[in-house]
Amino acid sequence: MTNTGTSDSVVIERTFDAPVALIWDMWTRSEHFAAWYGPNGASIPVAKMDVTVGGSRLVCMEMQTPNGPMQMWFTGEYREIVENQRLVYTESMADEEGNVLSPAQMGMPEGHPETTEIIVELEDLGGRTRMVMTHVGVPAGSPGAAGWNMALDKMGALVDSLT
Amino acid sequence: MTAVLDEDRLSETFAALANSTRRAILARLAEGGASVNELASPFALTLPAVSKHIKVLERAGLVSRGQRAQYRPCTLDATRLEEISAWAEQYRPIWEDRFDRMDDYIRQLQQATKDGTTQ
Repeated sequence: MTNTGTSDSVVIERTFDAPVALIWDMWTRSEHFAAWYGPNGASIPVAKMDVTVGGSRLVCMEMQTPNGPMQMWFTGEYREIVENQRLVYTESMADEEGNVLSPAQMGMPEGHPETTEIIVELEDLGGRTRMVMTHVGVPAGSPGAAGWNMALDKMGALVDSLT
Repeated sequence: MTAVLDEDRLSETFAALANSTRRAILARLAEGGASVNELASPFALTLPAVSKHIKVLERAGLVSRGQRAQYRPCTLDATRLEEISAWAEQYRPIWEDRFDRMDDYIRQLQQATKDGTTQ
């Protein structure tokens, strides 16, 4: 397991001892996604996932608190789907109807962009699978998120070399 | 500074960065300060157009301008970029936990399949 950080995104690389089709299912089949996605002590009572380009997603995370169960809803859209290879989707906080809420409305900590993008890249290692997940804090509507990311990486490296 | 104000600031930073010309200007400034004229030369842009981009970057806190009236060099302000970096880092432990659970879940599934076939 290795991790690399860039200035504007989280990049996590992992190798799973499972075939690539199973890892793909982890992300694209709601019953599997719901099984691992929620934080410890939480459940995913709703995971509606229309895994088609332009298809929407609505995920509910439920946590038990001393004041009773607390629900958080997330919505988004699938942007790129290349089976067993590459999945790109967006994520925003939402209400249970899937209407986007601003992070400030939700009382989220400072520095939380309204919409983020998750990029999952899979590589078949013959029975094992290498997965690279990138979570980008980029406004999803902005053109060329990938180019944006590369430009910022370059800039981040320059900034690091100066500070 | 309240969380709401910080949130607005961050949105402004992201909006300012969502433009390839402005990112190129920042990349140029990462190499050192420059005047508006110097910044305009590599781009097929008029001085007013470049000035406009610089104003957006200034409002977003990414660029500072010198105070001399004739020659006001632009310099990169890295503080906002660090704020974005802080945003990204708060997600790392969340994803690491999720992938630990994915790994456990996969093992359970594989074990179940194995048990199913051997019985």
